[in-house]
Amino acid sequence: MASATLDAPRTGLDKPAARLLSQELGDQLLKVSDWRGDLSLTVARQAWVRAARLLRDHPELRYQLFLDLCGVDYLEQEGRDDRYEVVLHLYSVEHKHHVRLKAGLPESDPRLDTLTGLFKGASWFEREAWDLYGIVFTGHPRLTRILTHDAFVGHPMRKDYPTAQRHVLKEPKQWLLDVPKESEHLIVNIGPSHPSMHGAFRVQALMDGETIVQAEAEIGYMHRNFEKMAESRTYWQVIPYTDRLNYCSSFMNGHGWALAVEKLLGVPAPPRAEAVRVILSEFSRIMDHLVCISTNVVDLGAITPYFVVFRAREAVYELLEACCGARLTVSYVRIGGLAQDVPADFAERCRKAAALVAEVTRDAEDLLTRNIIFARRFKDVGVLSAEDALSYGWVGPCLRGSGVGYDVRKDHPYSGYEQYDFDVPVGTVGDCYDRYLVRIAEIWQSLRIVEQALAKLPDGPVIVDDKKVALPPKAEVYSNIEALMNHFKLVYDGIQPPPGEVYGYSEAANGELGYYIVSDGGKHPWRVKVRPPCYNIYQAYTQIITGGLIADAVAIIGGLNVVAGELDR
Amino acid sequence: MAAKVVTVNRDTKPGIAPIFTGMKITFMNLVRTLFGGQAATVQFPEQKRSVSTRYRGVHVLTVRADDTPKCVACYMCATACPAECIYIEAGERPEKTIEKYPTRFEIDLLRCVYCGFCVDACPEEAIIMSRENDLVGTTRAELIIDRDRLMARAKTVEHGAGYRPVDHDVRRPVRLAALERLKSEHGIVPGMPKG
Amino acid sequence: MPKCTIDGQEIEVPAGTNALKAALDHGIHIQHFCWHPDLPVDGNCRTCMIEVEKMPKLQIACNTVITDGMVIHTKSPKAVAAQRTALEFLLVNHPIDCPVCDQAGECYLQDNYMRYGLHDSQVEIEEKVRKRKVVDLGPIMLDAERCVLCSRCLRFEREVTGTNSLEFVNRGNQTQIASFEGRPITHEYAGNLADVCPVGALLSHDFRFKMRVWFLKETASVCPGCSTGCNVYLDHRDAEAQRLGPRRNAEVNQSWMCDPGRALCHEIGKQTRVSGARLKQGGRWEGASLDAALEAVAGKLQAAGKQAAFVASPQATNEDLFAFRRLARHAGGLVDFRVGDPQDKLQQRLDDVLQRADRNPNTQGCLELGLGQSGVGAILEACLAGQVQVLVLQGPELLRLAGAESAVAKVPFVAVLASHEEPALDRAHAVLPAAVWAEVDGTFTNYQRRVQRLARAFPAPGEARPGWDLAAALLRRLGAPFPAASAREVFALLAGEEREFAGLDYKLVGATGRVLGTDAGAPAAAEARA
Repeated sequence: MASATLDAPRTGLDKPAARLLSQELGDQLLKVSDWRGDLSLTVARQAWVRAARLLRDHPELRYQLFLDLCGVDYLEQEGRDDRYEVVLHLYSVEHKHHVRLKAGLPESDPRLDTLTGLFKGASWFEREAWDLYGIVFTGHPRLTRILTHDAFVGHPMRKDYPTAQRHVLKEPKQWLLDVPKESEHLIVNIGPSHPSMHGAFRVQALMDGETIVQAEAEIGYMHRNFEKMAESRTYWQVIPYTDRLNYCSSFMNGHGWALAVEKLLGVPAPPRAEAVRVILSEFSRIMDHLVCISTNVVDLGAITPYFVVFRAREAVYELLEACCGARLTVSYVRIGGLAQDVPADFAERCRKAAALVAEVTRDAEDLLTRNIIFARRFKDVGVLSAEDALSYGWVGPCLRGSGVGYDVRKDHPYSGYEQYDFDVPVGTVGDCYDRYLVRIAEIWQSLRIVEQALAKLPDGPVIVDDKKVALPPKAEVYSNIEALMNHFKLVYDGIQPPPGEVYGYSEAANGELGYYIVSDGGKHPWRVKVRPPCYNIYQAYTQIITGGLIADAVAIIGGLNVVAGELDR
Repeated sequence: MAAKVVTVNRDTKPGIAPIFTGMKITFMNLVRTLFGGQAATVQFPEQKRSVSTRYRGVHVLTVRADDTPKCVACYMCATACPAECIYIEAGERPEKTIEKYPTRFEIDLLRCVYCGFCVDACPEEAIIMSRENDLVGTTRAELIIDRDRLMARAKTVEHGAGYRPVDHDVRRPVRLAALERLKSEHGIVPGMPKG
Repeated sequence: MPKCTIDGQEIEVPAGTNALKAALDHGIHIQHFCWHPDLPVDGNCRTCMIEVEKMPKLQIACNTVITDGMVIHTKSPKAVAAQRTALEFLLVNHPIDCPVCDQAGECYLQDNYMRYGLHDSQVEIEEKVRKRKVVDLGPIMLDAERCVLCSRCLRFEREVTGTNSLEFVNRGNQTQIASFEGRPITHEYAGNLADVCPVGALLSHDFRFKMRVWFLKETASVCPGCSTGCNVYLDHRDAEAQRLGPRRNAEVNQSWMCDPGRALCHEIGKQTRVSGARLKQGGRWEGASLDAALEAVAGKLQAAGKQAAFVASPQATNEDLFAFRRLARHAGGLVDFRVGDPQDKLQQRLDDVLQRADRNPNTQGCLELGLGQSGVGAILEACLAGQVQVLVLQGPELLRLAGAESAVAKVPFVAVLASHEEPALDRAHAVLPAAVWAEVDGTFTNYQRRVQRLARAFPAPGEARPGWDLAAALLRRLGAPFPAASAREVFALLAGEEREFAGLDYKLVGATGRVLGTDAGAPAAAEARA
């Protein structure tokens, strides 16, 4: 069976990952495909860890950045022997390439070896796959629920899980840490409701005086299983849900979703839509960075920067509201473009907002960068090495703060980023100060991009002229039967992409935001997996704070920019 | 463009002086806000922030000249709604030209996410959104807003109409040609369906 | 059997098959309006254009009989252009009606536009020809503007019911369908007119404006209205039955179904459902939990010993009957099912189309299980003679039966499995809540001895359970094992015990059923909804 598929003509075999894996595993490499630019390798589950190790360590591959691991349930899908599949996404910073590794698991025995020995970031992802799908990872040190609570019954992402049930947690978990009875250390619960935790997260720390000896995090307080809801929505209807991921820069989540679905469809958005998307995404990034920096210093007791920079955020919100009618939950993108064209005074509004951003960023820099109190709280605090950052799957400003210059906009340009001239700022130490400096530098780069994009904002339509993707113009719908039928079919039957799977990724404010979409050709996605950047980032938090002072833990969390909407999904 | 990675400058030489710079900024902000009229905040509810004409606020059901709803209960909005907050029951109108209308049309504003998809989905321009964003109720039932209240809003909306279809799209060439032909050969300039 | 090639795919079909059917049967879709699998070919809509090699002109697929070696292209540029033009032509006078048209969602025009059309409109709304709208033809609403003049309804009236109530009137682009003097349709198969109509010209009056079809989920089932056992789809939303429609089965009902059958879907969700058990205590009804009621009935059965009698119901599924029979045999009492005497009517037709005189779906199943040896008269006599202490009824038929009141009144304890409230239930002493056909998995055996599957569309209200489940619960309380937890497992037990059912399971019964004792009903490929 295995060798038969190996002999069959395959695409993607020319890729080094496929070639080397084929040499190493022989017929345990079951399938290779290269569809829509995604290299996808399916291996027998016995070879899972070996394959991942080879991908990580081979000098020609070096897929060291752990991106995502998730389960998929192919209940009663034709042509499949195995009900479950575990899907791993890795990235090679060195060779600038993504890879997808998959292994099928039978319904009777959904078991797979753990990758926690290879990637530090795998731990939470494997717990999530266990929690949502009931896939067992042998060798995982602590395979417990992560997004749902302990009183939850069943695995909610399974296709045969009966929805509309309520599971009530009466007693929260008292101890996250195993503390010996005779221990004289003090246990401190930070959160779930604490002013310095930016949302509802809980960290339990074991204290020796002011020093944290051990720490454990609990998340999932804001889990709503967006991914399950997406399975009963059309591709179009998922857009409002994405606004609620990283709600500090909601536009970029929708942008990422649209890009992923457009990749699945093979239908790119028109240039004007892409340029507007870039402009608004960069403004959202600025807003996100400003919020991150200002709330971070609020935790340290400095409230002035907060008031100063929020003026710029207000200006960006007004810009967004003028375009799409909402400030926070924008829902402005559509598959194949934008909901409507920008207002006539768009460029003027953008320039006004950009001027204000420049002003407040200068103020913020003056207030903070050389301020001795601030610098002492930030310098050499919360250091994470580049190697650990990759292993945890850090991306975005945090990864760049640790000195790895990976930026999706630069390395895999989308939406026309290749046309714009901008730099990728990186840090050297990987502490809070580097992360702060990178964010400030990125704000200036974003302003550069906005300026360039405004200067060459093309004319033309803002949504693709494809009757299977975009709703027809309203004037047509009101006046002729063809457009009316088209409108009806699109509303009740949705967009129906070809069967297949893609991993669409873009550089959101926190780094690579990925959407892994599996389509069975129907109007609902079969599976949507969000790769939330701060999920990986926050996973490293307990390691970073261990051994440090509790006051530093407060200084660190804000700079990681953990957003509950994205973390818990 | 070639990748350009730049390292941020860590060596910022922090000191005491920047603290005074910071104080100056704070003071300037105070002056600007107090005396310069540049406050970023408004005195809500006495003062209200003006919002754009695309604002996605509380819904409105538009009405015909005879005060009946323009809605024909086609369920497009209920289908497109990701929050499943629209409930419709259809009935038969006595006049044969329109045929169908909603006997019940309720929007649960507590479920609504104000995404505006109902407006996008409506083939009759029967549901639009207003610029109203401060609807208050003291009970849950009050915020499940029914057909007659939605229709009444068409007349009494305080802040004016918000998100509604505006045809930004360029008309398709085939149709433009057909329109041209219609005008030159038959002298017909088509408009919207009457009534 | 001639062989041909359609779009590069080699296909072998029975002689006389037309290209359209051959393609559809092999998963190649060609748009069509006037062609219907159970109606004669008319070839008037001209939308199924195909290119046949060595034929100078394009052909309509529905009227091109496959000959050996034929090479057909359905997606060649010429064919595609012709298909699109034909569709555009059908739309020239089509009104802007989707918002008010119930067909939206299952409309051939909408579906084919997205598949084959996708063209821009070239017609102005003012140029369209106006015709009659909202014409009430009794069970059917006619909208002549939406009609594409495919004549499916005319052919149905001519070929199936022989009533000819509809006809084309006028000529050219004024052509429309009409009934004579606008008289309503009077026969009992009018619902099929709405089904065959590929567009929204003929629509069901009953379903009018009730629901949008894209919200509906469909469950394949069998109509319980008479012993024909028409294959149906039950369309439902949020555990509420919305409508019944025919499911094609060439051996039983083709694509048709009668109007009384369609009306049955309104019975399912009535307000008068029995959703909980109750017991009569001191002449007054007291609500009881299902467990308590089962306990009470089992206690009475235990005490009565052989002085118990059982009346099965021909409305029950084979699984229900089997479990009930086992209960009766375990108790050792009399058992029968005939109330009235429907057995004689089993083979009697009510009309020339589908309906049969026996209004029970599973009389044949009762007979197959040997439930009819002594006649219900014997049970009534025993009751009158005071020899029956406990009477268990699988359905309330006996309570309704005129002339049986005195006999039933003699029995000290009458338990009945009921799904709907009715005055007759007052004659019983215990009421157990039963699920109806739409809420259970199971099988019926129709007059042809064809075993056909019902599927559960939604859960039963309250504590109501399938009949077999209630019988099994009683059996267990009497100390007899019943090793089945689902209808599928009950059927397996049944197949193990009954020679005629031997070797059958749900998979073999399949979508279109299986005739007992023959291979004639071997599962054909599931037919798509016509």
